[in-house]
Amino acid sequence: MATQEAAASAKHWRRRERGVTAALLSAPMLWLLLFFVAPVVYVASYSVGAIKLFPTDTGVISLDGWRHFFGGGSIYLGLFWKSVRMSLTVSVIVVLLAYPIGYFLALCVRKLKYVLLLVVIVPFLTSFLLRVLAWKVMLGDKGVVNSLLVSLHLRPANEPIEWLLYSQFTVMLVLAYVWIPFVALPIFVSLDNLDRSLLEAASDLGASRVRTFLRVTLPLSLPGLIAAFVFVFVPTIGEFVTPLLVGGTNGYMYGNAIQDLFTRGLDWQSGSVLAMFLLIVVAGLMALFGRYVQVRSVAAD
Amino acid sequence: MEIATSKAGRVSLTVFFWLLVLFLYLPIMVLAVFSFNDGDPSFPLSGFTTHWYGDVLSNPVLVTSLGRSMVVATISSLIAVTLGVLTSFALLRRRFFGKPVVSALVFSPLVIPYLVFGISLLLLFTLLDKVLTQSFGFYFGLGLHSVVIGHVVVALPYTILTVMPLLERLSVSLDEAAKDLGASPRETFRRVTLPLLMPALISAFLVAFTLSFDEFAIASFLAGTQQTWPVYLFAQLRVPSLLPQLIAVSSVVFIASMLLVLSAEIGRRLAERRYGREYTARGLT
Repeated sequence: MATQEAAASAKHWRRRERGVTAALLSAPMLWLLLFFVAPVVYVASYSVGAIKLFPTDTGVISLDGWRHFFGGGSIYLGLFWKSVRMSLTVSVIVVLLAYPIGYFLALCVRKLKYVLLLVVIVPFLTSFLLRVLAWKVMLGDKGVVNSLLVSLHLRPANEPIEWLLYSQFTVMLVLAYVWIPFVALPIFVSLDNLDRSLLEAASDLGASRVRTFLRVTLPLSLPGLIAAFVFVFVPTIGEFVTPLLVGGTNGYMYGNAIQDLFTRGLDWQSGSVLAMFLLIVVAGLMALFGRYVQVRSVAAD
Repeated sequence: MEIATSKAGRVSLTVFFWLLVLFLYLPIMVLAVFSFNDGDPSFPLSGFTTHWYGDVLSNPVLVTSLGRSMVVATISSLIAVTLGVLTSFALLRRRFFGKPVVSALVFSPLVIPYLVFGISLLLLFTLLDKVLTQSFGFYFGLGLHSVVIGHVVVALPYTILTVMPLLERLSVSLDEAAKDLGASPRETFRRVTLPLLMPALISAFLVAFTLSFDEFAIASFLAGTQQTWPVYLFAQLRVPSLLPQLIAVSSVVFIASMLLVLSAEIGRRLAERRYGREYTARGLT
């Protein structure tokens, strides 16, 4: 009798517990399923023609869109690789610039390190458009740099340095500028969590500073380094705003092609193929490197 | 001996650090200077003026777009914080089947390209309209409500990431103590958990607010004719005569958002430090 009652009450308790969990999770899950999962699934099915949205859509499932995308003579795949090259360059430069910053803050500064870290990060938390706009004002033909050079008589008037704005170089410069603050963070966290006694041990055992860095510090901060790399590469590969503002025709990226197909070309099916491809690439990257990316570290410090 | 750097290394790292800070802030400061410049944004400076700031106020389209962004940011952050708190409680204090899946799902908006997410929602809403209008005569359409829906999704992981660390430090034994003293679950939540969690809720709100206020990619696809501030700013950048005005507003927005972010950060740190001592399980025993 007693065991039966206990079992019944345990069952009741478990059901109630499950009810609480369901009550907590139902609203967020519903929101994400409706407005995050469903739209993505929808784009995926639209990219293979499974859904008829416009009169011109066939409604017949076919991989033509994808075949066209991967097939020879497709400009989009070439554009994708160009964007990958640009993103890779930006990511490498940003990580190389941010690493010394993280190293400095984590290992050389004592009292003020969180304040100084905040100084580096704050620009990232403010308007993205504004920071891009700042460079547009800086680098235009009549912009700050050119007009400054002219008024200092370093360049003749009417002969601005033209490649300053609307070039691949500008896009990469601005992207690097935008992402440095954010990337300093995971590098800082990995170096800050480093066990200092390991450095002391290396030094006691006679290792030089360079050797200590190469054999102890660098390997231990590698997860942070990889996370930093992913943090720049993933968002910049799908970038379209920066090229629109400072890229001109040379700086046109894969993201611009997607945007154009949806806003100007009105070829939503090709656009869906391009968008899905980008999403698959990003998901693949996360599957490969996701374990290095400690999302918690981003918010906590 | 300092192991991390030699003396020379330390000096060069310090110099490098401040040069980089200069690089990060110089363009923004230049922009702020030109917002007081009586003329085009180029050298030589043509004199001090504040009339760009005055012009802003007499530009109703601009003011409206700022107002829209405020509304969108407020509503979407309130929803995102609410959903974020619910999810944080579930992830930290409940045991359930499929937790890794739920966790992956709530954090994946962090890495989805906003461009892709924006067009996905655009496609979904277009389909919704096609279906709903034909069968029920209900028109959902694009506009601020669509932008809110999108912003809640992308802000949600940030709110969770802001709430979770503090919730983790709040000892469960506080809840148990309240229960032992006869408080109902609702009362416990309202009088114990919620007040203790408040600092995290406020900073989560501010983080979500700044994210939404500044968000362009998603809003550009979903705002329709109701342009939010970033969408308006982007569209007007092609009009050179408006540039000084836009720079003036941007400077104000920059300073305001910087203050918001800083106060959120400072508040959160203060709270964590205090709770670290008094309210965690370690502090109680």
